Amino acid sequence: MDVSSRRKFLIISLGAVGASLAGVAAYPLFRYLSPQPTGGEKGRVTIPRAQVGAGQAHFFQFRGHPAVLLERTPGVFAAFSAICTHLGCIIRWLPEKGEFLCPCHAGRFASDGKVLAGPPPRPLQVIPVAVAGDNLLVG
Amino acid sequence: MGFASPNHPIPLLTSPLKGEEIDSGGLVPIRNIAVGLLLLIFILISGISGASAQEESVCIKCHGAQTGRLAAPVGEWRNSVHAASGISCHGCHGGDPSDMAMAMSPERGFLGVPRDEAIPGFCGRCHVGVKDDYLASAHGRALGRGGPHCVTCHGSHAVRTATPELINSRDCSRCHEYGRAEEIKSAVIDTDQRITGIEQSLAALHRIGITTREMEGELFALRNDFHRLFHSVEVEKVRSRTAGFQADLAKIRGRIAAIEAELNRRKLWGGAVVALLVAGGILAWLLHRSYIDDKKAG
Repeated sequence: MDVSSRRKFLIISLGAVGASLAGVAAYPLFRYLSPQPTGGEKGRVTIPRAQVGAGQAHFFQFRGHPAVLLERTPGVFAAFSAICTHLGCIIRWLPEKGEFLCPCHAGRFASDGKVLAGPPPRPLQVIPVAVAGDNLLVG
Repeated sequence: MGFASPNHPIPLLTSPLKGEEIDSGGLVPIRNIAVGLLLLIFILISGISGASAQEESVCIKCHGAQTGRLAAPVGEWRNSVHAASGISCHGCHGGDPSDMAMAMSPERGFLGVPRDEAIPGFCGRCHVGVKDDYLASAHGRALGRGGPHCVTCHGSHAVRTATPELINSRDCSRCHEYGRAEEIKSAVIDTDQRITGIEQSLAALHRIGITTREMEGELFALRNDFHRLFHSVEVEKVRSRTAGFQADLAKIRGRIAAIEAELNRRKLWGGAVVALLVAGGILAWLLHRSYIDDKKAG
């Protein structure tokens, strides 16, 4: 192989290695910058309004996690993540008190998700709710 | 104020004005920065130690300085899960942890030591779910008639994270024969070991910088529900619900396995990058050599 062919081969090989390295470096960056799937319309949960009784809580799965929906005042609905912000236990609704209680360490949350007592450091995570006729659109 | 000695003509600690008066080239500003940094570190360390001193409530200060029966709870508590979670004396016994004179005053909510029958209610102020299951169980129904309560199995100040080892012949046979308790233990031990295994895997992932908070929360909730189940002391109930717990554990294990597979893929790609860099280096060196050979020949 003469010198110029050898050099051409080396340059092409070096270019191929460089291009591969650039690809390997760019792919994680592309993945990092790509928007994460949020579920969009598919991530929304539709719940018949009749399932949410006044003063009662309706527990359901929202994007793979437990959530709760309640009618705080007639016609006003609120949805929250049902995961306690202390250590991650699932809260339960106390209809006689109109508040949530975490059975693990007695964290108490008001019907608007705010912390009333106990160790939880933050309010419950709020999930948007919209009324659409006889249905409630959560998410 | 500055300090000078024949060996140290430049004051070690000096005011900016005095620093200007001394001709020491660029050293004084550097020393001032160094002294400033040292002071900052000192203040930070003092702040941290001050903060830990503040955490020592008057309960700990007073009882910790005593000997014998009144001091014992402090030492036991220091190694407990409560101490690790920041729950101090007043968290259970009430009172005022900031006022030595009024610390044990009922006016400040001091509850003292509960009677045996009051212990489930005492612990159950925080551990509400466990209290409900316990009170509905054979153990809870025997409360006040020689039945066991929280402290009988968990101890008081030295309380640790509960494990199936709490179910053992020595403790259970204090009140009844061990056979039925052993059945419950054998029904829970496999699931409990799976929980512990997942905890360890999550801790390992957390150590290398993977966000595990959500899975830790799910596992904590699951573990809490499972441990609540023991308190019903009904082996049939434990057996009937074990499959559900194990299915939920398998879901978390699956997510951990997916993360571990991703980490292994990254290792492979890392190896490929190193190989490409080595190949690129060799090719560049050969290319460079070809130009040198040309020069020599020409």
